[in-house]
Amino acid sequence: MHRSPPHAKVVRRQLNITPIVYRYQGNLLQSTLQAVGLGKRFPGVVALDDVTITLQPGHVLALVGANGAGKSTLIKILTGYYDHYDGTIEIDGRHVALHDPSAARRAGIQAVYQEVDTVLIPYLTVSENLLLGQYAHALVSWRALHAQAQAELARVGLQLDGHRRVEDLVLHEKQMLVIARAVSQDVRYLIFDEPTTSLSLHEVERLFDIIRTLKAQGVGIVYISHRLMEVAAIADDIMVLRNGRKVAHFPVADFDVGRISEAMLGTAITNVYPPKREQAPGEVILKVEHLTRARKLHGVSFSARQGEIVGVAGLVGAGKTELLRALFGADPVDHGKIYLDGKMVKITSPQRAVTHGIFLIPEERRAQGVLVDEKMRKNISLPFLGQFTWAFDLLHRRREDIHATATVEMLAVTPNDPEVEVRNLSGGNQQKVVIGKWLAGNARVMLFDEATQGIDVKAKQDVYRIVRDLAQKAAVIYASSDIDEVIGVADRIIVMHDGRIVAELDSAQFDRNLILEYATGSRTPMIQTVEDTKHAEKN
Amino acid sequence: MADVSQLQPTQTNTNLPPTLPPGARRSVIVEFIVRYGMLVAIALLMVFFSTQNERFLEINNLFLIARAASILTIVAIGVTLSVTVDGFDVSVGAVTGLSVLLSTSLMVIWNVDWGVAILITLGAGLIVGLINAFFIIKLRIPDLLATLGMLYLAQGFQLMLTQGEAVFRGMYNPWSPERVQTTGEITVAFKQIGQGFVGATGEFNGIPIPVILMLFIAISAHIFLQYTRWGRMFYAVGGNREAARLSGIPVNRVRMFAYMLSALLATIAGIVLASRIGTGAIRSGDPYLLDAVAATFFGFAVLGARRPNVFGTVIGALFVGILLNGLTQMDVQWFFQDFIKGFVLIASLAMSFFLVKRNQGG
Repeated sequence: MHRSPPHAKVVRRQLNITPIVYRYQGNLLQSTLQAVGLGKRFPGVVALDDVTITLQPGHVLALVGANGAGKSTLIKILTGYYDHYDGTIEIDGRHVALHDPSAARRAGIQAVYQEVDTVLIPYLTVSENLLLGQYAHALVSWRALHAQAQAELARVGLQLDGHRRVEDLVLHEKQMLVIARAVSQDVRYLIFDEPTTSLSLHEVERLFDIIRTLKAQGVGIVYISHRLMEVAAIADDIMVLRNGRKVAHFPVADFDVGRISEAMLGTAITNVYPPKREQAPGEVILKVEHLTRARKLHGVSFSARQGEIVGVAGLVGAGKTELLRALFGADPVDHGKIYLDGKMVKITSPQRAVTHGIFLIPEERRAQGVLVDEKMRKNISLPFLGQFTWAFDLLHRRREDIHATATVEMLAVTPNDPEVEVRNLSGGNQQKVVIGKWLAGNARVMLFDEATQGIDVKAKQDVYRIVRDLAQKAAVIYASSDIDEVIGVADRIIVMHDGRIVAELDSAQFDRNLILEYATGSRTPMIQTVEDTKHAEKN
Repeated sequence: MADVSQLQPTQTNTNLPPTLPPGARRSVIVEFIVRYGMLVAIALLMVFFSTQNERFLEINNLFLIARAASILTIVAIGVTLSVTVDGFDVSVGAVTGLSVLLSTSLMVIWNVDWGVAILITLGAGLIVGLINAFFIIKLRIPDLLATLGMLYLAQGFQLMLTQGEAVFRGMYNPWSPERVQTTGEITVAFKQIGQGFVGATGEFNGIPIPVILMLFIAISAHIFLQYTRWGRMFYAVGGNREAARLSGIPVNRVRMFAYMLSALLATIAGIVLASRIGTGAIRSGDPYLLDAVAATFFGFAVLGARRPNVFGTVIGALFVGILLNGLTQMDVQWFFQDFIKGFVLIASLAMSFFLVKRNQGG
């Protein structure tokens, strides 16, 4: 296996020098990883079947596929997560067995996952996290530690103060830190699993810069993303998986969205978005006036009508989530008024919001939307348990079963058995459960926050259809940082920037660049919130 | 991420492929141990003790064991309720002790009627639960620390009640400046709660009242957690507090309720204990804390529940009870018992956590 020669470690330890010298040696080996016939089966299911994959130094391979296509299984095999898999893996013609994570690490394979928080220690500094497990001596020289950390950060072109605590970093900084750490540990193959889900456009650009730097240094890269435009921008090769099999593999020069989605799904998808509303919207259901929360929301005013989907566009951190959470009573507001069907309501808690028919599909599905260890049935009946009881609060199981089965059918959840635990569902189906739990209620306002994050095209199409259906009876507020999606889904768009609404656009005015300019603050806001700067100063 | 877990077999997997991969075969064995290990362990324990003592399996002896375990079971059900909402109540042992002292001293020192004494004690228990909830929910003290504080408060209050004296008939009134004998007594009716039997016939001594009480509480708690709206909300809050809150569940009310029930059950256990021993012994509730916590976590492993559940807790409490009773009957000297208990505890907890985790990890 390819490790630094044994003496190198001894020398490194004796001199206490940074191991960079040896690492370059590692990268210069220019080794090719060839995995032939990779497979993984679980009782009753074949997760990955006879997949052959080649990783070359300085080459970006994009891996796309619907949820459940086998991407994660493939990644887990390569990072040594399973103690058993089919097929052989060779690096430079030499057989390697990746049966545990340390073997993968020794072979120079590492992964950067979406959830970076699980691999960082929040109360340690950037430098400490970066060099975790690599301290040369029992006694730590802080100056040497920080110096070495700075050198490592510079390698990936990252400017970050090594003395900052990781808990104070924003998400993309943490992600960069994880990348820097991987690079500092003789990484030769780096796998990115949905790295851009929570990044702003600018941050995505910076990530791509880093990937290009790594490429130039001879690192072989696997890039997994649902965002096909990103794949087109960064990949050299594209490989499509479906149902555990490799169904297509072609150079980026042949990139074609239609072709990829077709390969991913097995059928052609003609139109992702459902048709827009035809009739004029009905009565005003929701009216918001001067909603303000210190440093998060500044005098937000807008209204939404029955039968209408109001899109909320804006970059990550523009205040979309804060606005939705405020409307749902999940966070306190400093002042502002909310009118529902013309009457002022005080929404002081989610419980209050639910009784008023205001329902939220929150941003983080697994952390906020579902109980992953519970069955679908129990998730679906949770908010309106009172409807499924008889005397003494005892649950009426049959009524609950009927409702859960009907909901699962209606939303086309697969598998369609409500007794399946939510943890066993793909992201798209979990999201359907989150939506499904509100269907027993009498919805007046539905709030969607990044509802299609990390789910595949087919599931997205289903979600859009459901959103449109829900808008028949209620007002829908649909927030997303994907501008194309907001344009596709909404009847009217409000654009947020820095906690303010800066523009309100009718469907005739929908234009990607226009929205982007408002969202980035590079265009003078169309809506001024004079009154509220006064309020803000008072606070 | 979800990809692999999505492929994990559900429990009703009928279409296993003809050739199982090695990993799958092992997990079948592991699955069996996870589901039935606890029950097998109890059976083995009973077989072992019955070889040591031929009277062990007699019905009267089994009911005595159940009686000995019933106080522990009641406390453990309280702990289970707090663990279900993802909390933890370590004050239960001290609250049990407080209940023993409060109920007996009310009767002996202050000549309160036994029924009223029970009501006052139960009320005090609810107040303790409310205070716990206040510390944890309003003051946001972590549950373990808040109830640890309450452990000392309850213990201290217990000692202050009688100035550190045990309560018994004819004791000197610690609150009187002169040495005055108290005139109250722990009545026969009160003692029935812990010592009485129901339905004796011939050889059969009858069912001990504490066992009936314990069964009533266990069945009620089981129905509460499994079949009522509130029980469902308990599990929802314990499973993911934020998701429960964003589903409109009154999360704080649920948690408050759990701590109140936990303290109430500890108080009931204390009343049974006081009646059982017939005096107000100082700090007599202390040992119940650790046994109850152990019983609760044993319960995770029963039938592969992987979560707090009343049935598992009852089984766990019986396990601890049988072990303690068996050791005593085998004349194992008392100073060995804690060590053996610790050893068995670790072995069983290792089974609950190690195997369950492994099995989940796939």
